[in-house]
Amino acid sequence: MKFRCERDVLVDALGAAGRAVANRGGSLPVLSGVRLEVAGDTLSLTGSDLDLTIGVEATVAGDGDGVTVLPSRIASDVARSLDAGSVSVATEGDEAHISSGRFESSIRVLPADEFPRLGAPAGEAVTLASGDFAAALRQVVPAASADDARPILTGVLMTPESGGLRLVATDSYRLAVRDLPGTSVLREGQSVLVPSRALRELERLLAGAEEVTLRLGERDATFEIASVRLTTRLIEGEFPNYRGLIPSSYPNRLTVGREPLIDAVRRVKLMAREATPVRLSMNGDGLELVAITQDVGQAHEQLDAKYEGAELTVAFNPEYLLDGIEVTPGDEITLETVDHQKPAVVRSVEGSEFLYLLMPVRV
Amino acid sequence: MRLVIAHCSVQYTGRLSAQLPPATRLVMVKADGCVAVHADGGAYKPLNWMNAPNRLVEADGVWIVTNPKGEILTITMEEVISDTAWEMGPDPGLQKDGVEAHLQALLAAHCDQHLGLRLVRREYPTDIGPVDLLCKGPDGVTIAVEVKRRGDIDGVEQLGRYLEFLNRDPLLRPVRGMLVAQSVRPQARVLATDRGIRWIEVDYDLLRGAESRDLRLF
Repeated sequence: MKFRCERDVLVDALGAAGRAVANRGGSLPVLSGVRLEVAGDTLSLTGSDLDLTIGVEATVAGDGDGVTVLPSRIASDVARSLDAGSVSVATEGDEAHISSGRFESSIRVLPADEFPRLGAPAGEAVTLASGDFAAALRQVVPAASADDARPILTGVLMTPESGGLRLVATDSYRLAVRDLPGTSVLREGQSVLVPSRALRELERLLAGAEEVTLRLGERDATFEIASVRLTTRLIEGEFPNYRGLIPSSYPNRLTVGREPLIDAVRRVKLMAREATPVRLSMNGDGLELVAITQDVGQAHEQLDAKYEGAELTVAFNPEYLLDGIEVTPGDEITLETVDHQKPAVVRSVEGSEFLYLLMPVRV
Repeated sequence: MRLVIAHCSVQYTGRLSAQLPPATRLVMVKADGCVAVHADGGAYKPLNWMNAPNRLVEADGVWIVTNPKGEILTITMEEVISDTAWEMGPDPGLQKDGVEAHLQALLAAHCDQHLGLRLVRREYPTDIGPVDLLCKGPDGVTIAVEVKRRGDIDGVEQLGRYLEFLNRDPLLRPVRGMLVAQSVRPQARVLATDRGIRWIEVDYDLLRGAESRDLRLF
């Protein structure tokens, strides 16, 4: 196998495919590498940890077809270390030679025949505008759990809703729901649970892309963005019944400027150390935020806000609260509450496509 | 892994400047290029360190470690007391035995409630190692239970070896297998199902009845 390309082409392709590479290789050491295949002037790279697979195609000056597997980390480090310009990659026996200008290195390759054969994507192709989809991912994915002990919660539920698509994620402390009206991807009654890790990678790939093509198989989902293809296993299991958690009405409603609230929470949370919550006191005069950490200090800030309901103080994890407010669109948001122990809802005043449900902290 | 015990001084320049005056210290150079300088105290944190990728140049009692961010660690060796290197091989990763052992104890205590099985014996001895839990199912069949914090292919393989061994015992066979973990990896699920081994995910917090200050949605 032999090819030549610009350094940036190689760096970008190795970087994209390398995002899916297993950290340690696990029980299959070849998975610590990126598979390179040259056919004519097309270079195809694949990285995988078996749960997530990222394939990239790039146009190169091919000088010999073939397949090899390069250790991902070192190949990427070498490519990034090179000056801009032409890079040549050629394999000879169990070594790959990377050269550029007066630099030359040889890397011991991994056995290409041990790299798992990955099937072609299954399912009907549906093309979506990437802008809306990326925005929805940015709003929902952070609410998914990072705790592998509850694997269902590490996924984002994609489900049909009123002729459109709904994305839902929760880590059991907060829940984010985003509707994409008019986006028809799933059959009625069909729901899939996509690992949030894969969607985080997808979010990165969507930056600057115009559209994304989605294929849903029985066990995996494939997203194609220009020359990059991301395939992820779907999570099996039943997502919690989130609908029952969202009350149809709340007795208390606070309306406040989004930016001033973000700034105030950021300032006040500096005194919310060691898992201390930020308290929100709401009454007819507006909103007061308070954080007190024993032996560290305290901070409070008064904000102009419109409040309808009974006087109430409710405490939240400041990071979770910020996560929700930051991704809620519009200049003004509402915070609807029942009492200091029941979930509160953050919404935009301007639209109902996004909802963020947040559990208070007991104080 | 290279371990050097030396009387040395260390100068770091990069995001800030820091100096370690002359003293006897342990300098570790790991296979991936990480360099760490340790004192004879403290459980985990080195006095100074440079994460890989690094470039290490040794010359006349001076080690100069540089990285692509432009940071420089200069180790001046006044006296090298010991200099050894070991090939350590691949690292299987961290196994949190405390949690795993506790998980096993909790499951043993409430075997019927959480697994629907009757416990025969915990740590059932075999010639190839103890089986975490040996149980009887509702139909009287013997079940070997392997408890893991995270169920992966290795756990399935391990349980497969136990089953092969246990099924040679005419008093026990047929013996079926069950992999119990806080989470079971997709590949392990496929392999377990393929080998007729049941797998179950359990919630550690629920098992220990942990009460959190945090309120949850569900």
